[in-house]
Amino acid sequence: MGEVIVITSGKGGVGKTTTTANIGTGLALKGCKVVLVDTDIGLRNLDIVMGLENRIVYDIVDVVEKTCRIKQALIKDKRFEGLYLLPAAQTRDKTAVKPNQMIWLCDELRKEFDFVLLDCPAGIEQGFKNAIVGADKAIVVTTPEVSAVRDADRIIGQLEAHEIENPKLLINRVRSDMVKRGDMMSIDDIIEILAIDLIGVVPEDEKIVISSNRGEPAVTDGKSLAGQAYRNITRRILGEDVPIADFDSEDGFVVKLKKLFGIKTN
Amino acid sequence: MSDNIVTFKGTGNGLTLILSDKTDFDSLLGEMEARMEAAGSFFRGASIMVRYRGRKLNPAEEEAILKLLREKSGAEIQGIEEDTQEETNYMAGDEEESQQPRLKIKKFGYFKGIEEGQTKFYRGTVRSGQLVSFNGNVVIIGDVNPGGVVEATGNIVVLGTLRGVVHAGADGNKEAFVAAFNLQPTQLRIADVITRAPDEGDVRKDMVPELAYIKDDLVIIERYLPQK
Repeated sequence: MGEVIVITSGKGGVGKTTTTANIGTGLALKGCKVVLVDTDIGLRNLDIVMGLENRIVYDIVDVVEKTCRIKQALIKDKRFEGLYLLPAAQTRDKTAVKPNQMIWLCDELRKEFDFVLLDCPAGIEQGFKNAIVGADKAIVVTTPEVSAVRDADRIIGQLEAHEIENPKLLINRVRSDMVKRGDMMSIDDIIEILAIDLIGVVPEDEKIVISSNRGEPAVTDGKSLAGQAYRNITRRILGEDVPIADFDSEDGFVVKLKKLFGIKTN
Repeated sequence: MSDNIVTFKGTGNGLTLILSDKTDFDSLLGEMEARMEAAGSFFRGASIMVRYRGRKLNPAEEEAILKLLREKSGAEIQGIEEDTQEETNYMAGDEEESQQPRLKIKKFGYFKGIEEGQTKFYRGTVRSGQLVSFNGNVVIIGDVNPGGVVEATGNIVVLGTLRGVVHAGADGNKEAFVAAFNLQPTQLRIADVITRAPDEGDVRKDMVPELAYIKDDLVIIERYLPQK
């Protein structure tokens, strides 16, 4: 029986979809059988980030309305074996799926897959409730901004109310140079407020924009810092003990070189 | 009273038999035979799938009905099975949905007015999440953006750039076509044929009016103004 993990945040634009795509691809790279479910009905994006938009024939609404079988709606990834996408409907809205139908869907999918990753919509309304109702675990994504952390706090409360215990925290788009200057909340500040376990820190990386537009998750890019962070997160999900890396700064190489020669950088 | 022992009902995808469970199987079979004699070879030449409901049949009884249909109807019968569609719809529940009935592929009885017939004119851009669906032909005076869907039982003409998903002949007419000033669809469907652009395709920037249609179950795309 597979695990159903919801990736949620409350606030929009913090990287839920990017995280879902990267963790899912990362798990598939490790040989797991993974299905990514886009629950953001009416504002679907996960298909675009995965580069599978033009393959969609059936979607999640067709599945729960029994217009098609689950297998017919699953889109096989074009690069990785064992990775599938169940896309959201675009011409419908959140009310097209009912919580009991989501529970049924999650239970069906977990029979077939090692991991079912649910990409949750922003907000705390119907779409969010649908996404979490069938989940066993949750990853809460936030960025080092007061507003995103506030919304994450609200979401953690909601998750606890729905008896999803021990959600994990993923801090996205961290710029360590700004943190050092005191212009951005540090990881410790955020953990102090939210008081949940950290599963990973993803640095700000312009490669994410490029890879999202191309439909190729950054986790496959060996040179991408964010990709490295997502690979580490994947290993942590699989139970490995990987220390949280300190992504020192954008120009890491030069700094490291200077350190090597004993030149003071700051 | 003999009317309700067996009822023949033509559907888009074949024939549905509504069988009474108040009578024994032999008289049901006799009634069917009499009714089909009276109707003559109504189904001659058609290739149909037969479904039944209203009564449970064992394999031998199914076989008997199948034999009778093959002998008397003049149609090529693909097979017989119990009609479970109503049950599945019931299971999906929630009947209060004001959902538009989506178009379904039919083997016969589909929209044929593609030379001339009902046409909807839509002015404006079909944006992501918007669905233009019509039983007839559709002309879009504007663009169709990615995420937007246009489906028509007849032809689809886009007087602009087509980037979204289109489905012409959406209830089964393979003669239907799609034409656009600039044809760059996410996905293009005609009747039950689905195509998409190759993954690593060259992205064209120039506007070339093009026409897509089915030939031998393949979608052909060609310029309809060859000199330009």
